Amino acid sequence: MSNTSSDTTGDESLITTEVETGSTQRTPARTAVAARDLNVYYGDEQAIDDVTIEIPEKRVTALIGPSGCGKSTFLRCINRMNDMIEVCRVEGDVEFGGKNVYDDDVDPVALRRKIGMVFQKPNPFPKSIRDNVAYGLKIQGYDGDVDERVEESLKAAALYEEVKDQLDSSGLDLSGGQQQRLCIARAIAPDPEVVLMDEPTSALDPVAASKIEDLIDDLAEQYTVIIVTHNMQQAARISDRTAVFLTGGRLVEYDDTPKIFEDPEEQRVEDYITGKFG
Amino acid sequence: MTDSTESPDLQRRNGLRRLKEGTYGGLFAACAAITLLTTVAIFVTLLSDAVVFFQEIPISEFLTGTSWSPNPSGGGQAFGVVPLLIGTIVVTITAAFVSLPTGTLTAIYLSEYATSNARSILKPLLEILAGIPTVVYGYFALVYVTPALEATLFPEIGTFNALSASIMVGIMTIPMVSSISEDAMSAVPDELRQAGYGLGATKFEVSTGIVVPASISGIASSYILAVSRAIGETMIVVVAMGAQARMPAVREAAFGVPFINPADVLLESGMTITVAMVQIAGGDLTGGTIPYDSMFALGLALFAVTLVMNVISDIIAERYREEY
Amino acid sequence: MATDNANAGGFGEVSRVRGIVFEYLSFGASVFGLVALGVLLVYVSIDAFDLANASPEWLLTYFLTLVVPFLAFCLYSANDSEVTRRALAALGGGLVAVAALFTAIEAVVAPIPRLNWQLAYLFVVAAPVAAYLAYVGSRGRVAAVGFGLLGRLVGGAAIGLAVGTLFLVFDELVWFLAYTFGVVPAAALYAYGRWRAADRAATAAIPVGLVGLVTAVFLRRVVTVYPSDLVIYLWTIAIPVAAVGAFLVVDRSGRTVGIVVAGLPLTVATAGGFLAAGAGLSAPTVLLVLVLAGVPTAVYVSRVIEVGDGIVGLGLPILLAAGVAAGALIVEAWGVPAPDPWLDLGYVTEAPSRTPEEAGLYPAIVGSVIIIALVAVLSFVLGVGTSVFLEEYTPESGVLGSLTRLLQINIANLAAIPSVVYGLLGLGLFANLLGFGFGTAVTVALTLSLLILPITIISAQEAIRSVPDDLRRGSDAMGATRWQTTKNVVLPEAMPGIFTGTILALGRAIGETAPLIMVGAATTVFSAPSSLFSRFSAMPMQIYAWANFPQADFRYGVVAAGVITLLVILIGMNGTAILLRNRAERGN
Repeated sequence: MSNTSSDTTGDESLITTEVETGSTQRTPARTAVAARDLNVYYGDEQAIDDVTIEIPEKRVTALIGPSGCGKSTFLRCINRMNDMIEVCRVEGDVEFGGKNVYDDDVDPVALRRKIGMVFQKPNPFPKSIRDNVAYGLKIQGYDGDVDERVEESLKAAALYEEVKDQLDSSGLDLSGGQQQRLCIARAIAPDPEVVLMDEPTSALDPVAASKIEDLIDDLAEQYTVIIVTHNMQQAARISDRTAVFLTGGRLVEYDDTPKIFEDPEEQRVEDYITGKFG
Repeated sequence: MTDSTESPDLQRRNGLRRLKEGTYGGLFAACAAITLLTTVAIFVTLLSDAVVFFQEIPISEFLTGTSWSPNPSGGGQAFGVVPLLIGTIVVTITAAFVSLPTGTLTAIYLSEYATSNARSILKPLLEILAGIPTVVYGYFALVYVTPALEATLFPEIGTFNALSASIMVGIMTIPMVSSISEDAMSAVPDELRQAGYGLGATKFEVSTGIVVPASISGIASSYILAVSRAIGETMIVVVAMGAQARMPAVREAAFGVPFINPADVLLESGMTITVAMVQIAGGDLTGGTIPYDSMFALGLALFAVTLVMNVISDIIAERYREEY
Repeated sequence: MATDNANAGGFGEVSRVRGIVFEYLSFGASVFGLVALGVLLVYVSIDAFDLANASPEWLLTYFLTLVVPFLAFCLYSANDSEVTRRALAALGGGLVAVAALFTAIEAVVAPIPRLNWQLAYLFVVAAPVAAYLAYVGSRGRVAAVGFGLLGRLVGGAAIGLAVGTLFLVFDELVWFLAYTFGVVPAAALYAYGRWRAADRAATAAIPVGLVGLVTAVFLRRVVTVYPSDLVIYLWTIAIPVAAVGAFLVVDRSGRTVGIVVAGLPLTVATAGGFLAAGAGLSAPTVLLVLVLAGVPTAVYVSRVIEVGDGIVGLGLPILLAAGVAAGALIVEAWGVPAPDPWLDLGYVTEAPSRTPEEAGLYPAIVGSVIIIALVAVLSFVLGVGTSVFLEEYTPESGVLGSLTRLLQINIANLAAIPSVVYGLLGLGLFANLLGFGFGTAVTVALTLSLLILPITIISAQEAIRSVPDDLRRGSDAMGATRWQTTKNVVLPEAMPGIFTGTILALGRAIGETAPLIMVGAATTVFSAPSSLFSRFSAMPMQIYAWANFPQADFRYGVVAAGVITLLVILIGMNGTAILLRNRAERGN
């Protein structure tokens, strides 16, 4: 127990400094993604229970909670990846750019072209590094200089220096951390507005994970980043806002990250953060 | 192996029980050895008679000769394999035009689009196509397909022709392409599809742009197997294609460029390697004659080609299994 | 690539036109081969049964007396108003659609040769609906009982015919002696050993049996007086089969039922045998058919009555027989013009002929049955032996491990060698070098066995591999030797899968033609073979020969009938294999 508390204090100081610098540099955020009275069911089972949330533009928002609490489900509601699960049923609104993405006239494919996604396990295509990054550009009919955009994206993903001499070799030849940064480059190449990340570091070693964390911080300059993580230290380190989901798919508390980790309103959230359960 | 009266008897058994164990193991090993012996026997049988044949007919004459007439009735014997090769290649390529696109599309449909219900019905039904006896396919080609083609598309088609035979060979090999390709496509991890959808790709783009390239080695291996099967196919061509070893007429187009009109080859009868073998077997089987030995030379060529193709297909298929 | 027209409210829309076109295209490709095959099968059935000359009245008569009662039976069994409504809608709607479409095509394009809308309705609507209803109905108890009974009647009769056929080439007198002096004493000893737990007696069974067999071969030359064939079959096959039937029921239903189940079919079969001789039929064959169809049927009927559920289903064979009889009566009484099918009883019981009307397939069918029986034994033994060796006896690493891999690669390559090359092997090795003769049953059977051996091995390996390792470990831990584990645990579990694979491989063997030509099998044989070394024909060989006859009646009639016969036998074999597999899967 004593170990845990000392860890928490260490993190607190870190967060405070980071957020202070962040808030001075950035303009007040508009809402990028919002959910209103969102309920999601898998067959008879409820995965998301009446969630209402507003996620700010160009900030890192972390979704945390014990496994099975519905945080990944919520993430997949935003770009309608849940459509592909047959038993999944969604009620309520998810707004992106002021438009409900579940309206009948919304094409989920067009929606996903504006929202990038990075998955838990690195999943590069069995193609060359260049083709991996260019894939989104290709399917969206990008008419600019593809090579230039590939280079920019790889640089933005902090991978360019490592792979610039082997752009034509297979993406599968890279290490796990490099593969995940390649997936990030792939996601941001078509210049989406939002990047969704579903536990992007959970399959990586700590060194590779820390590189990704640094990268996420930079990404927030340009993109709205929504990240699901089961690692509370990670949420504390990299996010501006944190949403805590608890069992049954309920959003229990949502606030600035320092507030959540220092002084949560809810006893259950404090119990979860200090490791009393979950 | 200590011998003590106190301790339980753990000594290795000798005698009857071990003999029994050994006998059964030996019997099973003998069964397995038969499979190896079969390969050896095929090789030796083909080679021994082929060697005799090549002592009579030089290999160069066999490989470059443009006339095949093994029976010395009127005119001389000639053992040139070129017209047979042309016949075989024509059938194989035409059949590939039917089976490869159809089989690939079928595999994509089964792997990406079909509901699990549709898949469970379609897959066994497709296997039926490979299970129909080939002589029946040949009969269909001769009696139904050729007249149908004559009545609709090609009034000038011959009773025996390469086209209808090739179409039937193609239909027969569809399941070979579709089942192996579908296995390869199903082996593509779902994460890759998810990544594609996450980037805003449509189902069409995911299927053709991600799944197909990712399973390309499996698809290639299925193509080679189907082509190798078409090369060795016998009864369909024997029944429906006739047995005339011909060199295609070379015409002259503008500026004196030589070309072969596909219609000359497809709409008329021809002869494949397998047909030539069957034709000789229908006559003389007592052995010791050149035509008899020439069957084995042809068989050896067929055996070598299909063996090489299967080995290549295996190597390619091995690669896709390792990838994920 | 895809167009992205941003509209004010949404996120634009990505064009799906190409995707939808592609989906339909790929679906079309998936069914292309099947549709093509279906059309060809429709035509070959029309030719084989001369349906092009079937008058609408004839079709309507049998539709009403045979098809409608069958559909009603299935619907009664399914007992589901939704299914009934859908079936009626399909039948009615299909009638209108097919008729309209046909009239339109004939008016606009061209008449379709040898096909009219009544036949099209029969094949495209009525047959699929009947198949669907049979499937749905068989989930109900009544139709399940009906089909079970029908299957035993037809399957038993087919096995009876096949067994009768085999005795055309095997010496029934040796069998009689071997059975009497070898099989009976050995079985009795084994049974006594099990009953009294006397191990010695059970162990002695095999040597006693072997001595009996040797005695039989010896006595065959010495003894000169034998009972008649009918008595031999009665003693060696009919009575044992009836005894097994009785044994199966006696435990559950009591002695009286047991006596009835065994006695009734036996009496009927014996009487049938005696009567058959008078009617000019082969008495032993009639006896075998009646007893092999009768005993399983009797066992099944007794069980259904005992359970007391779905007894009505037992009426299905009567319903169908009555339908055929009623149809025939109406056709006869009203003088309805009837087609003259090529495929009739005469076709399967008579020898080939130069005139199409008299041509028959009998010798070729006999040849195929004998060859398949030999191939079944050879490839089963070799296939199981090899797969057990590869799966249970060899290590995965080391020198033996690489040997195993070599064997495995070799088997895969053997499976891909063209069948015509196997024909050359048979010609060079079995016919010429070993002197088994050109086109004899032995040469053909050996060649085909080697041809299907790789398929048999691969499927047997899969079946053995699917036996859970826990079972093996459990047996090993009891101190079982490898052979004991294999015999008592692995093989019993894997057997249904091995049978299924072997039957499917035999389906390949029965249709093979090229290797038969290469080893010199006769295209046409005019009488049934009388020994394993006489010249043989087989169904596909006969089809091949007839397809080249110049007369249209051969090409379109006689061969079509042969194709249908071959396909029916093939479907029967594969259907049995699938039933076996499904039953095994349900059992697990």
